[in-house]
Amino acid sequence: MQNKVEHQTQQVWNLAELLARVDNDIELLHDLLGIFKEDFPRLKQSLLAAVACGDLRTVGHTSHALKGMFANLGAERAAAAAAKLEELASSGERRTLQDALDCLDREATSLLPQLDAYMAEVKH
Amino acid sequence: MKILIADDDMLSRRLLEKTLDRAGYEVVAVENGKQAYEKLSQPDAPRLALLDWVMPEMDGPSVCRALRKRIEQTYLYLVLLTSKGSKVDTVLGLEAGADDYLVKPFNAEELRARLRVGERVLLLEDRLVEARENMRFRATHDALTSLLNRGAIMDLLGRELHRSLREKKSAAILLGDVDHFKRVNDTLGHIVGDEVLVEIANRLQSAVRTYDFVGRFGGEEFLVVLNNCDPAYGPGRGEEIRRLVSCRPILTAKGPVAVTMSFGLLQSAEWGSKPLEHLLHAVDLALYQAKGEGRDCLRIAVPDQKNEIEHAEKPDVVRQQR
Repeated sequence: MQNKVEHQTQQVWNLAELLARVDNDIELLHDLLGIFKEDFPRLKQSLLAAVACGDLRTVGHTSHALKGMFANLGAERAAAAAAKLEELASSGERRTLQDALDCLDREATSLLPQLDAYMAEVKH
Repeated sequence: MKILIADDDMLSRRLLEKTLDRAGYEVVAVENGKQAYEKLSQPDAPRLALLDWVMPEMDGPSVCRALRKRIEQTYLYLVLLTSKGSKVDTVLGLEAGADDYLVKPFNAEELRARLRVGERVLLLEDRLVEARENMRFRATHDALTSLLNRGAIMDLLGRELHRSLREKKSAAILLGDVDHFKRVNDTLGHIVGDEVLVEIANRLQSAVRTYDFVGRFGGEEFLVVLNNCDPAYGPGRGEEIRRLVSCRPILTAKGPVAVTMSFGLLQSAEWGSKPLEHLLHAVDLALYQAKGEGRDCLRIAVPDQKNEIEHAEKPDVVRQQR
């Protein structure tokens, strides 16, 4: 119940928080989003493969890295989904890994268009 | 101020780099714990470091532990930066040797404020080290001439004595006394006397090599320890030093003052296993002999000569008349 409440109050992307973190430096923000766009597909691929073969060590390590990236970008819900995957990997919980991965995928799917739109906007 | 950031996440590294660069830090960025440890172990290493917890090669707490094991000259202020936020992790990080702990994603203002705390701690450490070094200098150096004081030169002489015996290397002790120094003080005053002593100290110091020692032994007495001094060259080196002291008058507030010095020299070939006090007594006898033979000269000590033992008490008596 509490998780649900938390989820409802979390934003897909907290742009205001991110702008504060970069001291309103749009160029830096653009750089960070560029790094994310480059790194995310590789990390996602690694996570998919690790979940498929039940490699908890890689799941833990990759979801930790993703959690940090999402959190730095103000992507609160995706960060929470990555944190859940990390927690499951750490506790050896294989049964619900796929569900947690699907959840992370959904959050990333709703986040990416917002990032793309913003990047296109600041470019002009 | 230089700061090291260690983070394997490129996005986080870029964000930290820019934030700290904007705050005026000179940033050194590395990608893993091993690189961080290597950078922080270098002599000109940054003294502030932000270390991510989870990193390849070595994690943040391991870097802290490894750095704290070293006996180092300067303190490093280490901040762990991580998304691990539990109390257990906080305690673990601090127990590993971190000074502070910041949870990701960081707030730029909080990060800067915490680093200012680190800078204050390092500044305080610098002041303490400076005060300790000043005290150490004052405890081992003469206030007037800045040469080693009697205690320090005796200590070094004792160590040199043991080293030369152990390594079978040659060394020499040179004990010098300013001729008629009392006359300088009586006729020109103690301030001029002090000027003369300072200049003599400078001349002695510049006459020896960097690995020799010069100390103020007493009022107008100076002791020089010549390390690795071949016995064949000992007397020649002694003469050279004597001539360098008296080669030109000393310029003082009351005009130029001509000074000479008498010296006694003892070479390590004569030392055997005699205690330090005996050797000093022998070199003092040679100095006494130089004084007795007209001053402004050097005499070589021969410790076991019978006549010197008979006159063993004389230098102390004569010291009053120098």
